[in-house]
Amino acid sequence: MMRDVLGLKKSEKTPIYLRLLDLISFIYTRSGVNYPQMRSILALKMTMDGRKDSALPGFESGRRSDEEKNQFFSSLWVYTLISLFLLFLFAYDNWVFQYTTYFSFLFIMTFSTLLANFSNILLDTKDAILIGTKPVDRKTLGAAKATHVGIYLLSFTLAIGLPVILFTFYFNGIVAGILVFLLSLLASLWCLGLTLFVYATILKQFDGERLKNIIAYSQISLSVFMVLGYYLVGQIFQVIDPETLLVEMNLSVAHVLLFPMWFVAPFGMLQEGVTATYLAYTALLLAGTVFLALLFNWNTDKIESNLQKMDSSSTKRTKRSAIERTAAKLFCLDPLEKAYFHFGWQITKTEREFKTRLYPSIASALVFPIVMTYTTLTSGEPGVAQSPVTFLYLPYFTMLLIPVLAVSIQFSKNYKGNWVFNLTPNDSKAPFMRAVAKAMLIKILVPLYTVVAILVLYFTGFSYSLQLINGLLLTSVILYVEMKRSVTALPFSRKYSASEANMGCMGTLIFFIPVFVISVIMIVSQLFVPFAEWAILLILLGLNGWWMTKGFTRKTK
Amino acid sequence: MEPILEISHLTKQFDGKPVLKEVSFSVNPGEIIGYIGPNGAGKSTTVKIILGMIDKDGGDIRLFGQPIENYDVSYKARIGYVPENADLYETLTAKEYLLFIGELYGLEEEEVLKKSEQMMDALGIKDSFNGRLASFSKGMRQKVLIISSLLHDPDILFWDEPLNGLDANSVQVIKELLWKLKMDGKTIFYSSHVMDTVEKLSDRILILNDGEVVANGPFEELKEEADGTLEQLFNTLTGFDQHAALAEQFLLAMKGEEAHDA
Repeated sequence: MMRDVLGLKKSEKTPIYLRLLDLISFIYTRSGVNYPQMRSILALKMTMDGRKDSALPGFESGRRSDEEKNQFFSSLWVYTLISLFLLFLFAYDNWVFQYTTYFSFLFIMTFSTLLANFSNILLDTKDAILIGTKPVDRKTLGAAKATHVGIYLLSFTLAIGLPVILFTFYFNGIVAGILVFLLSLLASLWCLGLTLFVYATILKQFDGERLKNIIAYSQISLSVFMVLGYYLVGQIFQVIDPETLLVEMNLSVAHVLLFPMWFVAPFGMLQEGVTATYLAYTALLLAGTVFLALLFNWNTDKIESNLQKMDSSSTKRTKRSAIERTAAKLFCLDPLEKAYFHFGWQITKTEREFKTRLYPSIASALVFPIVMTYTTLTSGEPGVAQSPVTFLYLPYFTMLLIPVLAVSIQFSKNYKGNWVFNLTPNDSKAPFMRAVAKAMLIKILVPLYTVVAILVLYFTGFSYSLQLINGLLLTSVILYVEMKRSVTALPFSRKYSASEANMGCMGTLIFFIPVFVISVIMIVSQLFVPFAEWAILLILLGLNGWWMTKGFTRKTK
Repeated sequence: MEPILEISHLTKQFDGKPVLKEVSFSVNPGEIIGYIGPNGAGKSTTVKIILGMIDKDGGDIRLFGQPIENYDVSYKARIGYVPENADLYETLTAKEYLLFIGELYGLEEEEVLKKSEQMMDALGIKDSFNGRLASFSKGMRQKVLIISSLLHDPDILFWDEPLNGLDANSVQVIKELLWKLKMDGKTIFYSSHVMDTVEKLSDRILILNDGEVVANGPFEELKEEADGTLEQLFNTLTGFDQHAALAEQFLLAMKGEEAHDA
């Protein structure tokens, strides 16, 4: 019999997600999950997500501890707003083109940013102690975790898909509308299923410290795979008449591996009739769904049973690298700041949760410019060299990583250790913020920017080096501005919860417009205004010098 | 009498390093077993394997007369567990947490509420029943964990460092409680670093060192080997007799001086 631990009995108070789940409870029961227990665990998790941890004494988190509001759901409207841009698709009369773009966008958004933030929930080991020691089987616990993440993913998908779904009903009819709605939900379940499959495989094959690293690398691979997939999907279509917006599709056998296309085939059949290709793709979609469902059913308890490997002790020693030591000497004048610099560097080097949250974004920030370079090189007239100017905007992509970085450094698995920051004899908040900002700049942003800048230099020659140096200095200033704006608590002092999973992702999307404007201003002014490069260099050097010595002092007092 | 728990040749490795090496022992119903050993000896690993949290590499475990592989998870309803670290879902209140645990054990809400309030009252934390666990002290969290391990009236208790963070009065209460639980027929398997408590409470003491059982018997029998306290016996069996030298080394390190060779 089910009890009402959190006031969630079937009543008017019952949250909608539980009511909907009750309707499909037979699926859980048939696959061997104890549904009442799973429902109870899930309700508890969702309740906890809505509550904030109280800030530790002396640290202002900017939130009330008794606040019960799930930030994730209340911020979903932003995604709906952003995905309004997809409505341009309805100007084309090619459904396959419309929905290929839509589903590719959906997959890339979910895989490259959002899903990484949920890995901590799927790979949580605390539940094994507090719930796994009670009469709850591994399958039930695994199903509760997957459903927990699934609820967020489905809501995210619906928020992103809402404009397209509504316009589909209006322009393409009820059948297409229902189809796009159902397939959108299925797409997010695919993302979850694929991620769980990857985790289950890795957890089975590896142990100890290697396992932790491979989990992080798998996130990178998934996001790189998605970015490349998005590029390849883009290659299938060609606008053959810009006036009538006529699109031609060139599907080849190689494209059969691009699974977002499988989601599109039913629309092709609806608009153009049944063809062998569409039929084959639809069959692949159905077979893939059944396959993933079977894998999920088979893997949920395996993941739980192998999860304890994550907690197995490791004797790996970590040393300060030459770069870390030199950077600390060069950029941190104050000994306290130097200590925090090493602390920030080491904690982000060893904490798996930080890596899994950030690495996919790093991969995207690196792969996007490479794909764009390739597109630029292949899109021009044959035999005509591309203007160097067409490559200059690429390093600015690095800046899109900054919001995710600023969000990631706020959380830590070991957030309770933050009492130690109160023990320093001097006011440590400003040096701490400066040190972590510098560590992240040197450890993550500079190498990333350098790789892209070298790529750009290869095409443009050294005459644009000053522009590229200015770009890096600007990145550093923007990191400071973003950290000052968004980091409300001290670094590594907050507990991570599912309701905050979309913070970085949303930040990146909002960041896109200012980064675009700034990069255009920077490039145009340096190309056309005499001595602008030198003037900008001086200004940026001054700003960097200021934040690196005096930054963060006012706010954190 | 058939043992309630029987472990034979239990082995476990982490990262290729053996943590349990052919561990064998048995526990009879109604016994209090003190399971002690230095940090990293494998005590918590043994309990985690019994509770199905991690899989064993080799050996056999029979609980309630059956190999644990034969059971579904229902056997855990007869076990009460207190983990080594007082990790709780901190955003919940004590009431919500205990109701949730009660629910997982299949208990009625009214029963859990009544029991929880009474048990919290007995341990002096009733006023915090509706307080968030995040605001609880270490000792208060430990009490909540102890309550949660007893809500369902289990047959065998696995308590890992149950006295962690408790004040002197609470320690006395828990010691009395352990004794009364034994009188009530419960089997208690607990590990602790507080030798004095282990010595006084345990019917039998198991000492684990480097993944191997190095002593197993009532204290009265074991002390004949060491001729002293349990602490002395522990030091002898775990090969540790350099307390003074290490304390001296520590002090020198603190003052930034070189240690002299002994």
